[in-house]
Amino acid sequence: MSTFADLSKAVESGKRKDAKQIVEDLLAEGTAPLDIVEQGLVPGMSAIGEKFKKNEVFVPEMLIAARAMKECMGILEPLLADAGVKPEFTAVIGTVQGDLHDIGKNLVAMMLKGANFGVVDLGTNVSPDQFVAAAREHNAQLVCLSALLTTTMPAMKTTVEAIRGSDVSAVRVMVGGAPVTQAYCEEIGADGYSQDAASAVDLALELAKS
Amino acid sequence: MKTPLDQACLAEPLTCDGAMGTQLIQRGMSPGECGMRWNAERPDDIRAVHQDYRDAGCRLIITNSFGGTRSMLERHGEGGHTAEWNRLAAKIAADAAGPDGWVLGDVGPFGDFLEPMGETTTEELEAIFREQIEALAAGGADAILVETMSDPAELTVGVKTARQVTDLPVVATYAFQDSGGEFRTMMGTTVADAIRAACDAGASIVGSNCGTDLSLENYLKLGEQIVAAAGDIPTILQPNAGAPRNADGGVVYDATPEDMAELARKLRELGIHIIGGCCGTSPAHLAAMARV
Repeated sequence: MSTFADLSKAVESGKRKDAKQIVEDLLAEGTAPLDIVEQGLVPGMSAIGEKFKKNEVFVPEMLIAARAMKECMGILEPLLADAGVKPEFTAVIGTVQGDLHDIGKNLVAMMLKGANFGVVDLGTNVSPDQFVAAAREHNAQLVCLSALLTTTMPAMKTTVEAIRGSDVSAVRVMVGGAPVTQAYCEEIGADGYSQDAASAVDLALELAKS
Repeated sequence: MKTPLDQACLAEPLTCDGAMGTQLIQRGMSPGECGMRWNAERPDDIRAVHQDYRDAGCRLIITNSFGGTRSMLERHGEGGHTAEWNRLAAKIAADAAGPDGWVLGDVGPFGDFLEPMGETTTEELEAIFREQIEALAAGGADAILVETMSDPAELTVGVKTARQVTDLPVVATYAFQDSGGEFRTMMGTTVADAIRAACDAGASIVGSNCGTDLSLENYLKLGEQIVAAAGDIPTILQPNAGAPRNADGGVVYDATPEDMAELARKLRELGIHIIGGCCGTSPAHLAAMARV
């Protein structure tokens, strides 16, 4: 009999085929899809994230684990939708206007999905108005802004200003990317900064609950 | 006939150029604009940047083609211009480099991950790199530069492809960051492993460019590790002008031309063969570095 711990382990070590088989087995045994997500997938992604923060594993291991999780979610998402189960929190994420880099943004999006956030990924080169409109449409608790270039960081500031001046001004904004720092986050009035994709999940949970 | 770069750099210390993107922004490019397009529409501006670095004493001129793979140009909807714009980039650089200079045909990361981390196969990546490298060679590149790499597997595909489609020397460089007290690429590869992979792939010159949040002291330590790892293979280091600092809603690099010249002098003493610049550097920095 498959257990949640087996599933967590398979996700953490990026064994896609094993993970999918365990999900199928658990479903066949009558396990609720939401329990599989919350007690199997989320702890697996959390475990790899913890190792990443301690420099015990690196980006490749995170990507491989996230692919395993994504394939499991491919099985579970239709079942969750049929049952009317929605994630507790929704995050809108994108790379700011003028910046076409998406590796960091994609990593954070994967890790947020791994913590069972609803994630609305707007892609790259996203305008302030697009962030505001998406936060409104999806009733998001969080907006996550990414930038890789020092030359596009100022677009984070204009995006925060646009959000604060809109009808969704209360949404929590978090920022990240190679040139971004805690000092810059405070300077532009964002609610939080994290330096890597695994810490971003902790911050997202903290901000969404606050 | 020009001496091949991998031989020339053993005979005398050589200086490579510095940052391109910030120079183009000073000439009116918007952040996020497709810099490759300037090879076709603003060639005189590209040539002027190259010439500024050439006049500063840089004999290695890097083509304006960092984001010039088809996969990166597709992000701007410009994939159809891949061959044309890379050929132009090499031709413009060759004009400025002149008979005593070398044109490095620039190949940057393709923008995604190889299997099993991502969904791109080695064969697909070979085709992406081949198209760009053939065009850079056709435009007059004297060497191919596979740069700012994080994944040794991606770098290996780039170096091997360049070896297959040209007879040119291949320069291979990684971007490193400080990961809990040691230098690693974003993908977690140590300096020793990364440099070994580049040498094994057949690179003629190996080293590092750019980097995340590294200080001038960091670059000196990194230089030591590169020289130790490279063995008999010539080495290159293109540091940023120190670690960036927040100021006035943006970022500034504080290292002066004198600071960079001091770093260059120490790197020469370590045995780095080619020294250049990356983010935050200008022709003034490179002029000071070329004099040491």
